[in-house]
Amino acid sequence: MLDVMKDRITDIGPPDFKEYLPPAVKKNYGQWKYHEILEAGVLVHVAESGDKLYTVRCGSPRLVSTTSILFYTEIADKYCDGFLRFTSRHNVEFLTTEFDNVAKIKAEMTEYGNPVGGTGPSITSIVHTQGWVHCHSAATDASGVVKAVMDDLFEYFNEMKLPAKCRIALACCLNMCGAVHCSDIAILGIHTAYPRIDHENLNKLCEIPNISASCPTAAIRPATVDGKPSVELIEEQCMYCANCFTVCPAMPLADPVADGISLWVGGKVSNARSEPKFSKLAVPFIPNNPPRWPEVTSAIRKMVEVWAENARPYERMGEWIDRVGWPRFFKLTGFEFSKMHIDDFKYAGLSFKRSAQITHE
Amino acid sequence: MAKTIEEIADFMFKQVSEAQEVSKKLKPGDLTKLAIKAFGDEGVDKKMGKMAIKELVLSGKCVYTYFGGSFLELPHREGAAND
Amino acid sequence: MPKEYKTPMLDELEKGPWPSFVKEIKLAAKKNVMSNDLLGLLERSYNERLGHWKHGGIVGVFGYGGGVIGRYTDLPEEYPEISHFHTLRINQPSGWFYTTEALRTLCDIWDRHGSGLTNMHGSTGDIIFLGTKTDELEPIFKELTEAGFDLGGSGSDMRTPSCCVGPGRCEWACYDTLQRCYDITMKYQDELHRPAFPYKWKFKFSGCPNDCVAAIARADISIIGTWKDDIKMDQAEVKKYAENGVDIFNDVVLNCPAKCMKYDGDKLEINNNDCRRCMHCINVMPKALRPGDDKGAIVLIGAKAPIVEGALLSSVLIPFLNIDDDEEFEDFCDLVEEMQDVWCEEGKNRERVGEFIQRVGMGNFLEAVGVEPIPEMIAYPRDNPYIFFEMDEDEEEEEE
Ligand code: SF4
Ligand code: SF4
Ligand code: SF4
Ligand code: SF4
Repeated sequence: MLDVMKDRITDIGPPDFKEYLPPAVKKNYGQWKYHEILEAGVLVHVAESGDKLYTVRCGSPRLVSTTSILFYTEIADKYCDGFLRFTSRHNVEFLTTEFDNVAKIKAEMTEYGNPVGGTGPSITSIVHTQGWVHCHSAATDASGVVKAVMDDLFEYFNEMKLPAKCRIALACCLNMCGAVHCSDIAILGIHTAYPRIDHENLNKLCEIPNISASCPTAAIRPATVDGKPSVELIEEQCMYCANCFTVCPAMPLADPVADGISLWVGGKVSNARSEPKFSKLAVPFIPNNPPRWPEVTSAIRKMVEVWAENARPYERMGEWIDRVGWPRFFKLTGFEFSKMHIDDFKYAGLSFKRSAQITHE
Repeated sequence: MAKTIEEIADFMFKQVSEAQEVSKKLKPGDLTKLAIKAFGDEGVDKKMGKMAIKELVLSGKCVYTYFGGSFLELPHREGAAND
Repeated sequence: MPKEYKTPMLDELEKGPWPSFVKEIKLAAKKNVMSNDLLGLLERSYNERLGHWKHGGIVGVFGYGGGVIGRYTDLPEEYPEISHFHTLRINQPSGWFYTTEALRTLCDIWDRHGSGLTNMHGSTGDIIFLGTKTDELEPIFKELTEAGFDLGGSGSDMRTPSCCVGPGRCEWACYDTLQRCYDITMKYQDELHRPAFPYKWKFKFSGCPNDCVAAIARADISIIGTWKDDIKMDQAEVKKYAENGVDIFNDVVLNCPAKCMKYDGDKLEINNNDCRRCMHCINVMPKALRPGDDKGAIVLIGAKAPIVEGALLSSVLIPFLNIDDDEEFEDFCDLVEEMQDVWCEEGKNRERVGEFIQRVGMGNFLEAVGVEPIPEMIAYPRDNPYIFFEMDEDEEEEEE
């Protein structure tokens, strides 16, 4: 037996978070009174006890080397008693009770390449997935698109000049590991070519009934091809979701020309003011254009700018569109409206305009 | 009569082996259902099913696999693997 | 000597103000041959506009069915160091708080056994160790568990639960998100490590309706804090906000979805009976307004991304649960197990519980798990007349 198999420990779960809480957090746990945003990326939380805790929020590429993590630990040792945390949107946060440390953390982190911002009415880090760096079903890269978009929108990260916050998320295929479907702007990798069936190997690699069952539109039928059990595709029914490929590697869809990005707009998860809602289709397809995806960044900038210019304070992207209507959105952005924008999946009729309330653009 | 965990595990192992011969994959839930069907409610309950599966995996007879969903299979070299 | 790759495409992404992932891969490549080959392969993907990964479905650590995602490049001859490039998901501590010591331990393990590249954090919330060989999996696992860490979920199992920072640093937390996330994770270790469900099952814990972890969009069980009594108000602070330029009438009162606020230029009034606890007014004036004292959580069920049958948001299952109370929490866990039983029994392969409910009907699902239907669960009652009337069985017998 291998040495590593001796005295194996299993099922211990994560470390108890209480051991990782900074002293000021431990002391004022559940006793916070209010907070203020002092400047972009800097918060102060004030406890009932009167204690003040400053937070410096720094952008991160999410894909982080141990070298950089070790750099973060140096900062935290120097200014934060050896504690730090990350946010649900990949930012790294330094918490300190000394106001004087704020400027120092900010300076050192910015110098290292992790700028400070992403609080309040701003655009913070883009939640995203793996892309070409690591995933088998990616229709686009993730980190590269995110980098290009954030470089372009940087002024909205380190300044707070938008009507409300704007949450952007990216998923590199319809699997949506990042569940981007409720974002102000969602960037979604999309295939537009049919799966190519590897009849030679399909039966060896996969279970045929399972493949048929995997297709949401029943586009896959068992068939015998060249004497071998395989499947056939009813092409008119395929919408390139790659479910079949997830279940069976012998049905790849990735294609340099047919893969690209779709843009979705107006979703939110917060319950503030309006209820949570899904993002809706804005641009059905933009071909991949690495390394900087200029067509994607300019379309996103367009959406952000027309919203920033026209929305009322506190109005999220989707709330603004709900108020002024989709015709206005398409007019102001100049995005082409096509047949593809009209839903034809389940319950499609619910998305039709079923009233006589209309604006004239 | 309640079955022992070993008996259930043996039964499950047979199911997995037979399924694999016709390149069919079984989910852990399927195995428990099959065992309950074969031995009846008094013979097997869900908890025993779970324990039998754990036994199967810890003995090295079966491994978990993932192809869009999780399955139990006999250990084998997978198609995608590089040496 | 490791190969030296020319990477003009990727070099372009080292420029610009946003932190660069290319810089990170290059930093790792200085120490590690796997990361060096990754750099070469990624440049190639950028040129070809095509990924070069194959999914591996079998690799894992002994005894677990989750926590490792198998990856192989489809160009192993050219990029031999990343011929295997598996990912480990490591269960993060609640709220993503760390000591520097813990992070250094993790980095040390990963530098010795893997690529030195991570995601802090992955979409589900786990720490992601990105890229290692099959033979390294057991040694990594051993060192991780000795350091007090364990793997997270993947596949058809309970996925690693995650939560917002909650009472750790947020005045709006209506329950202890960090603690309950930890409790659920510890309670269901077996479900997390040994996939036994039709598909994945996620828990997410947000301390208030701002829902910072997107529970309502992403979790099969979304637990979102709320309160029952009145919003706490400090009129003096309201005045200060007004003096400092907050347009209380337009920006607060008119944005209230319940239209339950009044402002006469001096005093702010809230009809708490009509308030929907949406958080808007509190978000705008955190010093003046706060959630009440009678706090708890709403439990919602069924959110998911589009795969397979279309995206869903979670919908209300329990309108108010005093989740910090241990007894109520235990009852809630019993209900969760009951729901999982029904779903395991009847659910199809790759059918999330939300889709399962769509298929069998919410009414039938509630009946199966023993929860009374109440109007809080719906946006509006059915607007079609296709009702399945269920005859009372006794009556049926009498008729025969
Ligand atoms: S979204 Fe799709 S391509 Fe991207 S990491 Fe997830 S499964 Fe892979
Ligand atoms: S890509 Fe989707 S729609 Fe097309 S055949 Fe595969 S599963 Fe069916
Ligand atoms: S969800 Fe609410 S309680 Fe939790 S961090 Fe966000 S605002 Fe605070
Ligand atoms: S919480 Fe929302 S619904 Fe309640 S008073 Fe404030 S704005 Fe109105």
